[in-house]
Amino acid sequence: MSEIPLLWATLLAPLLASILSLFIKEKKSLAILNSAALGFSAIVLLYLYTSKGTTWIDPVSFSIGGLGTFALVIDPTVFLVAFSIAVTTSVIALYSLPYMDHRFEELHHEGVSAPGWGSYYFLYTLFALAMMGTVMSTNIVEFYIFLELTLIPSFLLIAFYGYGERLKIAIMYLLWTHVGALLFLIGALSVGQKIGFDFITQGGFRIGAANNLVGLEYAFWLMILGLSVKLAAVGVHMWLPYAHAEAPTPISALLSPNLIGLGGAMMFRIVYTLFPQMFASASPILTAWAVMTMIYGGLMALSQTDFKRLLAYSSISQMGYLLLGLASVNAYGIAGTFLHYMVHAYGKAILFAVAGILIATYHGLRDITKMGGLAAKMPYTASLALLGFMHITGIPPTLGIWSEYLIVRGAVAQALQNGSTWYILLAVGLLIAIGLSTAYAFVTMRRIFYGPLKVQEAREANASLWGPLLVFALLGILFFLFASLLIDPLLSFLKTFPLGA
Amino acid sequence: MESLLLLAWLSPFIGTLLILLFKSASWRIKSLLGILSILVSALVSSYAAYLFLTEGESIHISYPWVKSLNVSLGAFFDGLSTVMALVVSWLSFLIAVYSYEYMKGEVGGTRYWLFFTFFVGSMMLLVLSDNMISMFIGWEGTGLASYALIGHWFTDEEERWVGEPGRRALGVPMWSEPSHSSLRAIVFTRLGDVGMVIGIATLHTLAGTTLLSGLLDAQWATQLLSKGVLPVFLWLLFLGALAKSAQFPFHEWLVTAMTGPTSVSALIHAATMVKAGVYFALRFSPFLVAAYILLQGGIGSTIIEEFLVGLAVIGAFTAFMMATMAIASRELKLVLAFSTASQLGYMFLGVAVGTLAGGAVGGLYAGMSHLMSHAVFKAALFLGAGAVIHAVHSRFIDDMGGLAKEMPITATAFVLASLSLTGVPPFLGFWTKDEIIHLSSETGLIVPTILAVITAWITASYTARMISRVFFGHSHHKAHEVSPVMFTPYLVLGLASIGIGAIWPSISGSFEKMLEHTLGGENSVHMLEGHIPGTFEATIILVLLLFLSVFYIYSIAKKQPYSYISKSPTLMKLHSFLFDRWYINALYYTTIVDGFKETSKALYKYFDTLIVDNFYHKAIPKLFQKLVNVTSIYIEHTWDLILHHYLVEGFKGLWRIFKQLQTGKVSSYLLYLWLGLSLILVSMYILGWFP
Repeated sequence: MSEIPLLWATLLAPLLASILSLFIKEKKSLAILNSAALGFSAIVLLYLYTSKGTTWIDPVSFSIGGLGTFALVIDPTVFLVAFSIAVTTSVIALYSLPYMDHRFEELHHEGVSAPGWGSYYFLYTLFALAMMGTVMSTNIVEFYIFLELTLIPSFLLIAFYGYGERLKIAIMYLLWTHVGALLFLIGALSVGQKIGFDFITQGGFRIGAANNLVGLEYAFWLMILGLSVKLAAVGVHMWLPYAHAEAPTPISALLSPNLIGLGGAMMFRIVYTLFPQMFASASPILTAWAVMTMIYGGLMALSQTDFKRLLAYSSISQMGYLLLGLASVNAYGIAGTFLHYMVHAYGKAILFAVAGILIATYHGLRDITKMGGLAAKMPYTASLALLGFMHITGIPPTLGIWSEYLIVRGAVAQALQNGSTWYILLAVGLLIAIGLSTAYAFVTMRRIFYGPLKVQEAREANASLWGPLLVFALLGILFFLFASLLIDPLLSFLKTFPLGA
Repeated sequence: MESLLLLAWLSPFIGTLLILLFKSASWRIKSLLGILSILVSALVSSYAAYLFLTEGESIHISYPWVKSLNVSLGAFFDGLSTVMALVVSWLSFLIAVYSYEYMKGEVGGTRYWLFFTFFVGSMMLLVLSDNMISMFIGWEGTGLASYALIGHWFTDEEERWVGEPGRRALGVPMWSEPSHSSLRAIVFTRLGDVGMVIGIATLHTLAGTTLLSGLLDAQWATQLLSKGVLPVFLWLLFLGALAKSAQFPFHEWLVTAMTGPTSVSALIHAATMVKAGVYFALRFSPFLVAAYILLQGGIGSTIIEEFLVGLAVIGAFTAFMMATMAIASRELKLVLAFSTASQLGYMFLGVAVGTLAGGAVGGLYAGMSHLMSHAVFKAALFLGAGAVIHAVHSRFIDDMGGLAKEMPITATAFVLASLSLTGVPPFLGFWTKDEIIHLSSETGLIVPTILAVITAWITASYTARMISRVFFGHSHHKAHEVSPVMFTPYLVLGLASIGIGAIWPSISGSFEKMLEHTLGGENSVHMLEGHIPGTFEATIILVLLLFLSVFYIYSIAKKQPYSYISKSPTLMKLHSFLFDRWYINALYYTTIVDGFKETSKALYKYFDTLIVDNFYHKAIPKLFQKLVNVTSIYIEHTWDLILHHYLVEGFKGLWRIFKQLQTGKVSSYLLYLWLGLSLILVSMYILGWFP
């Protein structure tokens, strides 16, 4: 009996909704339609994860000449990423309704006539499904096509509905992420030419397929560098603060946690699996780069006064955590990376959405120095913000504590292998990095929500703005409680890889 | 049936959930939910203690939580955790009862009970955990709850501040608003937690399990020793405990934590939070003993011994430093806060010297007994202080005085607890502090021992000053005794300080026996042996003498030493030094906090904006612009010239020539045809197109 191509369905349902959006005028129906389609994907992914065993390849695939086979796959690592994307985008689709209402009005005041609701949701859902496609892909070219498909809609969303010099920033975003994508592509093509473009076949990952290729170090490093641009590791992070700060807030809430984290996810799924030996020997460099990214992002976040820009730098720092897990080259660290992808997705989506709530409620208020004392008037928003920060700083009862532990566990095991100097350096680095994360998170909480009230006519925002965010908080807490549901399969899956201690 | 023991920590969390669900209910209902959920925890803990004592062995139930990390949820009652669970749950219960009256009518009632119960639940979870991860989760939970409760009055009105508004040291404000204090608490303690989580991850890596029982074979120590990181590891592992228990150099957060409601201060200082650090030290010191025995004779045992000596020095130094600050403070709660940090120093000293002198049970007994006696008297003192502050509407002791007449019950409880703090026999505090000083002298460690003795003297002085300024001497205020709901909890605790103290010599033996049934508690070893004579006599004589003289000066002679001190510039300098907390706070702000702030700003300005941003968004675009210019001038322009000028001109010339060829003579045309054909044929030949 042939199985139902459920993974394709998780992409087709949003695609259908996205196309239908062009023909629907009523904004409420648009929001519900798109949110429902993405929610459907989330539920299907959950079903597949819980019922299909460790790895499941969709029965439908397309073989394309010399390019290999385009199929879709789900395993515990894919699930964490794709499910997070589906949930975040589904919830933010609802949040978009009140937020974009306000944004359209603002744009109207500026005298700009941006494309309407239909186009917004068309692009939005296209963007969402393309992100899911990237992580489910089994072939490098297929991955690249999905990646391109994420860039164009997100570029247009920033260009149409962004803030400030939105066109310039949109182009900057498009350009730099393309530079990254291209670097990756050059590396990938060099490898693909020799061993084919599939990195997953019916038999699973082609682990170590590129191990014995001579003279491909440059390809390995190009792929790493390209994905690091996506990840916005320090040094190649230049585009992120602009794009994430000036994108329309619902899009920031997708860009920041979801899109950039894909760089980390694919670094494992493609680069690590093809080059496990080279990856392991690059581990010290990557570890150092990761800790530097954590510290740098944290330090930058500390001195920002624009809330959205602060969150953008915080995302850079969080990507350092993802990279640190990967760099550990062991099951615990990598499990931490994927788990933290979910943690950051929920946490940062909440935080960007909170920034949006303040923008929408107080006429574009983004300057933290003008905020203060809002918790007294906005208890729900403040509680959600606290939960958001708890996610990313790893405080129970949120899933963050599990991912933080796993990442540290991985990094420590690796450092112990590398000798006492590494162990001490790692400890010092983590003390500073995690200390900084705690500091900027709670300093920001204080500056925005505590102290004397500084905002005139402060009031709780409309429930249509904060209500949807409860889903993130709830999921973060539920997954904290039922962590075994995520961690056990993830670790046993990753332990099948030839990883370190 | 056994699974009901889970309620020891689960019940407060259920309370948290119920309070959230009934958030619109009345204060009475929410308080009832909070108090009852903690009462259940206390009763279950007592039942477990009964089982433990009758069966004489540890009770261990566990349900898997995250199997792949060996993390389970359950309840592990051994000697240490049974005693600790009793202390935590019953004290929390009494403080909860007190809260009902104390916090009535205050804003944020739901928030208060939410985090109160969460606090107790987290603490009980950490105490009753059988593995490091769930212990760490409880640990972090207490951090969150303390953050929320210290900043309970987050709108920062001046009456909620701690410290003197306007006073600066080295330009740094010496007062703190609630929202600032809560920030300090979470940042300070989480800094230590990073070390702790690295330590736990290290143990997990080397022992292959997160179970506490998996650490007993101490193989991890051998591996760490061979990797050369044993000393670093030990300090990292204990960093969280040092920070949480406010040991130098992490003591600053505890001082400003006084911005929380007084009931919360009692909770933090007596039952939860700061005691978690000591508990951690107690929990892990038997593993150190196991490691010591395994590595005995080699460098490894020396490292462990030196580490414990280091802990002893930190503890003794903290005890001394914080006690000196308590002498000069003008705020009642601050005196108590300094005193807590100082007593926590004694506890760390106790764990360290106890372990050094007698092995696992030595440390457990010395640390745990003082933890318990301090919990009892400090809870009483804080709750009493809350009543006093409530009554006089001021946190400054200058506004108090002579309150014994108006508040006799509060005064009685407060004085009883104070005598225990001072270490007057036969109060409980006397026995437990004496044990620590005794063990310290038995290790022969001179500096910690001297500091511990001097601290006892200072403790007697500031305690006498405190009770004199509050309850005796000149009266400044009209006040009324508080209601029985409020005073019963601290009266009970005050009486317990003397009651338990009176029977302590007869029960301490079985207490020690009980603690022997702790994980790793049976390992006894003498790492250090020595004797410093006269410590007991020096302590007790001077403690009594100083207590009575200070009491006489303030209460009976009604003198104000401050008026003498203020006349001498040298003494005033000393006073400022103590009053401004040895300038450590100021130093932290001017170096660390400002350091990070400035680094962040400079890095943003000169690196992120000037270099990174300019490189990618100015230099690179400019470079391309230049390239475009160069190409357009040298290549595009030339090419343009070729195509649109020379080529056109060339064709024009060709046309002219061609026109000249149009002579009209057939013979010329034939010549051209022949010439052309020959040219084509020759070219084809040259190109090799002929076979």
